[in-house]
Amino acid sequence: MQIASGLLGGFDMDSGTLAGPLELRLQAMAYAGFCQVSLSARDVVAQPGGAPAVAQALQALGLRPTALQALRDFEGLSGPMHRYKVEIAQSLLELCQALDCAVLVARATTLEQASGEPDVLARDLRKLAMLALPLGIRVAYVAHSASGLVPDFGRAWDLVCQADCPNLGLGLDLHAMVAAGSPLDELEDLDASRIFQVQLSDGIEPTAAQASGHAPGLQVFPGEGLHSAALADVLLRLDAMGYQGDYSLAVHNADYLQLPATSVAQRASRSALWLREDVLHRSAPLPWVASRG
Amino acid sequence: MSSTPLQRESVPELPNPLGMEGIEFIEYATSRPQALGQVLESLGFRPVARHRSREVTLYRQGGMNMVVGAPADEGLSEAGARPVLAAVAFRVRDALKAHSRCMELGAWDVPSRARAMELHIPAIRGPGSSRFYFVDRWKEFSVYDIDFVPIPTVDPHPPALAGMSYFGLVQYIGGGRSVDWMAFYENLFGFTQIPDEQRFGILPKGKLMQSPCGSFLWQLVEPDPGMDDDSSAECLQRVGLGAPDVHAAVQALKALGVEFVESHLLHPEDRGALTRTVLGSVSFELVHREA
Repeated sequence: MQIASGLLGGFDMDSGTLAGPLELRLQAMAYAGFCQVSLSARDVVAQPGGAPAVAQALQALGLRPTALQALRDFEGLSGPMHRYKVEIAQSLLELCQALDCAVLVARATTLEQASGEPDVLARDLRKLAMLALPLGIRVAYVAHSASGLVPDFGRAWDLVCQADCPNLGLGLDLHAMVAAGSPLDELEDLDASRIFQVQLSDGIEPTAAQASGHAPGLQVFPGEGLHSAALADVLLRLDAMGYQGDYSLAVHNADYLQLPATSVAQRASRSALWLREDVLHRSAPLPWVASRG
Repeated sequence: MSSTPLQRESVPELPNPLGMEGIEFIEYATSRPQALGQVLESLGFRPVARHRSREVTLYRQGGMNMVVGAPADEGLSEAGARPVLAAVAFRVRDALKAHSRCMELGAWDVPSRARAMELHIPAIRGPGSSRFYFVDRWKEFSVYDIDFVPIPTVDPHPPALAGMSYFGLVQYIGGGRSVDWMAFYENLFGFTQIPDEQRFGILPKGKLMQSPCGSFLWQLVEPDPGMDDDSSAECLQRVGLGAPDVHAAVQALKALGVEFVESHLLHPEDRGALTRTVLGSVSFELVHREA
């Protein structure tokens, strides 16, 4: 298992991709060769024993938590709504800290009552980053195709730049970007060191509607769907830009949720190996190096 | 939807947004307050007052106030016998306004532990388990007038040994975290970075920031690049004491029994000196400062 962990280094699975009790899901990931995991806050709090039990399970399995999903609809609010969201953010940040998880994913607001003023959105993102800062947590801000204000990564990047806080960066949902036909040349405008997480999934449906958020469509692991070539293109662009962060396999698929977690995790493992070896052409770590990890 | 009118012009913020005017007190927490008290007395501090309801003692010399306490609800670590720098209180123009401003910018509130008839000092979370207090009662009145009882027969204002005063704080931070913490102190308090070429004392590592009032410094120290296994928690590490004549201060402190680090790499000199660590965690750095 240690050698396989080395092979899949840099790739993790999202806990929401698998079915069953979280502990069994984590075991399935570890046995499939993953050494890191992106956690859903809902999964963590639903686990008997909560965050301490999950942290213990992660340690026992040698899994590193890379990111916690997700804070939603934080920015652009005022009055009681803003104060409520600050409290939610604080609770999620404390959950992150309890799990020793370095990144909190924040999804762009989809609320109609959110302010459209860039100054207000950036101010709130900066506040979120400042809340996260003493805890040693980074915030990955992800555009949302259902957001009227921040529907694409270019808009999200503008706000991250305007907020100007070192622990605030971007999260990229590559499937949403590819399916929505986002102009990928704009990726070159990004600072790779400020990309804190990249989520990967493929799609079987060719329409852009599947990335709208309202109709998520049938997602599969990268390499299993219709957008594999486009995904590979984006990965190579990110690699060329110098992105060295984590890739997260985050697939929302109802079929996967009625299959044994071990079987789905094995599919994910094959996908990660395809991305690593056939797309990114990363060399496998030497056995004696991998076995130390 | 913003309730505040948008700025039509770019008006730069005040360089000292909280009206900061120095350090009012520094607080240690320890389960062995008397042992730490002896250490402080060897450095020239004198116990001048005790808290009305808690085991907390105020030590003082010159303009420096040091509070030593062992609050029962503080959740000290298993190694609670090792004192920790628990809080720094900043003198500000208006404590409540300073606290509100920091909360608006993303600070974490620290709920008050004041009991009935005790003074509420607004505070926010600092690094690790530490706190930053905001104090605006330090001219005509002081924060100690209400909660502390003077110790009889003791000079309430003992002079500073060798002209010492607070020079600054040293904070240990995680690897690669300098830019994060610099943003924290710049955004919340208006600290500014001091160029890397400008250094003080004999331990010049890390990044140095200056308070907006110019009266103290803040040093951020990351682990050495090769120390990947250094995962110790971020914390306030030690207090820097300024002295116009470091050599004279060292001699005066040695006469009181204070030992200094003396090796071929680090030893007392005119620029500064470092006391040996006592009680497992407590050391002080002397730094040359013009009178």
